[in-house]
Amino acid sequence: MPESSEAAITLAGDLHARPAGSLAVAAAGFASAVQLAVGVTNVDAKSVLSVMGLGATAGQRVVVRATGPDASDAVAAVIGILARATPVGG
Amino acid sequence: MSEDARVGIVLVSHSSALAEGTAELAGQISGGSVRIVPAGGTDDGGIGTSAAKVRSAIAAANTGAGVLVLPDLGSSVLTVRVLLAEPGKLPEPGKLPEPVVLADAPFVEGAVAATVAAAAGADIKAVLAAAEEARHARKL
Repeated sequence: MPESSEAAITLAGDLHARPAGSLAVAAAGFASAVQLAVGVTNVDAKSVLSVMGLGATAGQRVVVRATGPDASDAVAAVIGILARATPVGG
Repeated sequence: MSEDARVGIVLVSHSSALAEGTAELAGQISGGSVRIVPAGGTDDGGIGTSAAKVRSAIAAANTGAGVLVLPDLGSSVLTVRVLLAEPGKLPEPGKLPEPVVLADAPFVEGAVAATVAAAAGADIKAVLAAAEEARHARKL
């Protein structure tokens, strides 16, 4: 049975292009499928353009879900990157 | 795939500034671990494309995992197609980067998507797919 994992974080800053890139590179390093959700919108965390297309901004709650053999590590890595989204961004 | 053999990216534009700026942006977003080589403008620095610049950019982008070539418009595409159709025109016959693929994708989005995929260690097929999926990416 594939492992599933989920966690959520409220963004301190907007999700800019560079953190979106770091997030997609990190997510793609896991075997698990990884998704981000903001409200009712779900995207593949391994697709940088989809992550940018979320347009996630400060104060929004982002849910990270992963399914696969390394799901909990994948969620932890992505949450870690989202936690570094700062008010100044970049 | 080894950590150091990543797919290289060549950005072919009519404008040297556009190719260089797009390479800089894609490098920043992807974290700088991928060779992104701009090939913009004519040999004398004007607006247009140069087969010689594309040829040397392909050689410079190659680290052994293949090279994705992304053209901007019109004759950039033709320049790359002519090069790829005539292997003798590519750098050092017999030592070509394998494979070299031409991406049908929007220039900025395709460059960013391809570079991020390459940074994550994707193979040439997956990097090409990432670039071409950029055709469907929405900004809003």
